[in-house]
Amino acid sequence: MKQQLTLLLIALCFALFGLLNSGMASTAGDPLRVVVTIPDLADIVKEIGGDRVEVASICKGRENTHAVVAKPSHLVAMSKADLFVEIGLSLETAFVPGLLEGSRNVKIQPGKPGFLNCSEGWQPLEVPTSLSRQAGDVHPHGNPHMNLDPRAGRHIAGRVLIALLALDPTSKDYFEKRNASFITRLAEAEKRWAALGATWKGSQIIEYHQEFSYFAGASGLKIAGAIETKPGIPATPNHLAELIGMMKKAGVKVIVTAIWSNNDTVARIAEATGAKVVELPNMCGGLPGTDTWIGMMDTMHKKMAEALAVAPIAK
Amino acid sequence: MQSKVLFHAAAALGCAAPVLAQGPVFSTPGMPTYETQNPSGSKDSGQADRFTSAFNPAFSFIVDAEFEYLDNSKSPDGAEARLNVLEFMGSSWVDPSAWAYFIGAAEDEALNIEEAAVHYIGFGGHQTLRAGRFFVDFGKQMQTHIHELRTNVRPLALRTYLGDEIKGDGLQWDDWTSLGNSTAVRWSIGAFSSLLPEAEEDFDATTEVAEELASSKKIDDFNYTARLTGFTDAGESGTFQLGASAYIIPSFDFLYEPSSTYSQQSTGLTNIVYGLDATYGWVGDTGEQRWTSGAELLLNTGDNGVGINDPDGNLGTGDDETLQVFDESTLGYVAWSDFQWNRYNSIGLQFSAVELADATQSMESEIEAYLTHKLSEFQRVRLIVSNFESDVNEDAMRAVVQYTVVLGAHGHGVNW
Repeated sequence: MKQQLTLLLIALCFALFGLLNSGMASTAGDPLRVVVTIPDLADIVKEIGGDRVEVASICKGRENTHAVVAKPSHLVAMSKADLFVEIGLSLETAFVPGLLEGSRNVKIQPGKPGFLNCSEGWQPLEVPTSLSRQAGDVHPHGNPHMNLDPRAGRHIAGRVLIALLALDPTSKDYFEKRNASFITRLAEAEKRWAALGATWKGSQIIEYHQEFSYFAGASGLKIAGAIETKPGIPATPNHLAELIGMMKKAGVKVIVTAIWSNNDTVARIAEATGAKVVELPNMCGGLPGTDTWIGMMDTMHKKMAEALAVAPIAK
Repeated sequence: MQSKVLFHAAAALGCAAPVLAQGPVFSTPGMPTYETQNPSGSKDSGQADRFTSAFNPAFSFIVDAEFEYLDNSKSPDGAEARLNVLEFMGSSWVDPSAWAYFIGAAEDEALNIEEAAVHYIGFGGHQTLRAGRFFVDFGKQMQTHIHELRTNVRPLALRTYLGDEIKGDGLQWDDWTSLGNSTAVRWSIGAFSSLLPEAEEDFDATTEVAEELASSKKIDDFNYTARLTGFTDAGESGTFQLGASAYIIPSFDFLYEPSSTYSQQSTGLTNIVYGLDATYGWVGDTGEQRWTSGAELLLNTGDNGVGINDPDGNLGTGDDETLQVFDESTLGYVAWSDFQWNRYNSIGLQFSAVELADATQSMESEIEAYLTHKLSEFQRVRLIVSNFESDVNEDAMRAVVQYTVVLGAHGHGVNW
């Protein structure tokens, strides 16, 4: 009996401590606490939110978004956030559901004003017509790498602006002014990217993972094949032999790979076909000069121009 | 007159029955008692839309099969192919404040409910009340299912002191709070009707008495668990976790019953196992390379072993046998380290040693090396080689090829 009373006392102490620590809300006048899944979103939220937001990104620029490990700081940041921003399209399923549930932050749960899915209103590519793992690690809502589409910055900025206005309507003029400034710079950049795309239109490339479909589609590149047999499924010797044969026959001279996938297999194919390997960022911060989303897109276009022997357009 | 009174009473009860009952009188258990929406918008209501699938739980299956070769020091060697476990899981939100799940596991011909529990989160804050049957919160490798372990068996120290699994029927309350921006501290307390290891069906009292301490226990009181753990960012790429756990059986009896005509019992026994665990995880900048190292130290206290004194050597006859309860504290530990060099391949080493609760505090140890190759996100092959040494049991070497497949939706929360 004495032992059980001791346990009850310990339980009550824990309960009291829990109650004391349950209130962690931000106060009026503080910057909005924003947690985003990838650095691209962090950059765009900062562009519009300025000093009225504090932004933390879960992924780092060089990470494979399919293999992110949740850290304590992520959980803490989520628990205190006023706004959570994700790409959506199941890009972040490896870590978002567990963090959202663990954070217990009702403000950022799906359906609440503090939850922003940037893929809403976006027309995704490669939406599977039937769902089966026979097709590999497919995403049910379509290809999730929309952040690599040169048109995505404008779409994401629009979504972020709506979310920030809903959470802090008193900063309407401030957010709209910053958004207008970002869109102006974006429009100039979009002209640069379109001009480059026109010079290489129809050029064929090979990709490692099916993550550059948006970039290729928007900039006039044609993806002739992928090194992975199916999304997330490593290449078999048979598949590689067929791919090398096809590249030689079709004259495909560029292999596009992300940082995480630039491995021995890519090098072997390049050696067998004489193709150039272009390592592209798949998020901001992945390579030098890609700290901003516009900077990342510039870098991607510049690297492609070099690989395809096209003179880059000056800024 | 007496029969008339009875008639009136029966009539009154009959009328009251629909009022007292929890639902309509003529309903089949498990059937919805309201008309469900027809997704097509038709006004028809028939069998086709009686059970809409729109709110079905998410289901998944795990198939875990293995081929094992055992090289014993005394018994004949042997090989075996078997289905280690077929696990199936369903989970769904109950309403905004609770979600529930079940995990069933088929082992050999038996079907066991490993877990069936509700997580109630409606208290606010980070509190969770968990109710039902579930694996208790003890250390890092005790709360996971077989297919999630580093090898195909629970580490020696854990399975010796706590059993292959501890699934408790009861309640657990847990909560967490942050310390600064990069540290989280979590605690839990659980109360369960029984946390004793499961008995083997083929238990033979004449040879396995000491090992099967739990098989004949009677439980009068609740059992308890408690855990306090903190995990923190360790630099840009690392995470460090420290935890302390307790597994408390305040009172149990041990029954020795070698025959239907003879038995002995020790009553008022107590057993508490304390655990300390430390884990460090490092993730490379692309997330493809990972290194994890950890250790768990266990202190098994109280009445943690029972032996049979049998002067004439005829164990099981009950002629001159007496029970001997051991209450010397014993220590055990497990340490592991594994490295994933790309998203498909990893290698690791695990070592575990325990003091046994017997008259001489004998030692046992096990070292396991494992290589895991993922064929994709959803299937993996693992090669395990282990060496087991014991002062009292037979030494053995083991080589296992384990093949595990995940079908359907399968996810895990933050394991801490």
